Amino acid sequence: MARKMIRVLLVEDEEIHRVMARAAVKAAAGAEDDDVLDVAENGAAAVRRVREVAPYDLILMDRQMPVMDGHEATRRIRAMGVTTPIVAVSSDGLPADVEAFIGAGADHFTPKVSQATRQCRPCDACMRHGQQYMIDLCK
Amino acid sequence: MAAAALREQLNALLSSMFSQGLVDEQFQQLQMLQDEGGTPGFVAEVVTLFCDDAERIIAEIATLLEQPIVNFDKVDAYVHQLKGSSASVGAQKVKFTCMQFRQLCQEKSRDGCLMALAVVRNDFYDLRNKFQTMLQLEQQILAYDPKQQ
Repeated sequence: MARKMIRVLLVEDEEIHRVMARAAVKAAAGAEDDDVLDVAENGAAAVRRVREVAPYDLILMDRQMPVMDGHEATRRIRAMGVTTPIVAVSSDGLPADVEAFIGAGADHFTPKVSQATRQCRPCDACMRHGQQYMIDLCK
Repeated sequence: MAAAALREQLNALLSSMFSQGLVDEQFQQLQMLQDEGGTPGFVAEVVTLFCDDAERIIAEIATLLEQPIVNFDKVDAYVHQLKGSSASVGAQKVKFTCMQFRQLCQEKSRDGCLMALAVVRNDFYDLRNKFQTMLQLEQQILAYDPKQQ
């Protein structure tokens, strides 16, 4: 049976993080040419893409962005009735940030700084959550 | 043989960057992503993006700190951005300096922020020079043709 094509929306305003997330998701899940990694550079663009484009299988959401931040974008996406898994990937790992994202409707939160090792693992974050979801989606 | 000497130089440079705390394990992960993901040039792309971003951010912070009334929230936002990108690339020393810088932004200390900016600038330029040398060595190694021996 042919493997299902996966559509991921990466919501991130900084190019360096977009480049890294793209590489991490590709490496983590063995993404194939048919898989789609769309990008939105702020929350408002993300809400538009979710509304206008074919359903996504996974949304990776940054917090601090111009125009509309990740909390508000998550809230609006959920208000549209969209149930796509949303993984918040943010450098702010304070409990208040986690609570705000989960309260807005995100399914998981991954800080960019690991409290245990005090090292930044944005790649690990995308790989861990992206891989889990993408492996499940490929079944 | 020349390629081997260049590779030895590159390994020594990378080793010193790690031992001096300029870069951390995250930088190794970039190299792993490049090797395992089959994306040649990935490290060069990310390092170049980081250097361009950092240069721009440092200039923006300098401008903000020159204003008669400093908008410390804006300064903090830029420092936060620099901290994030330096952490992502494994630029450990710059990242730690940014963490201290943010503290001074919270204290709304212009003098403190100016000193922190000087340290961040110094740390960044030091790292950038080493990144440039690293990329040059990698290019030389790639370009070296053993058939010319």
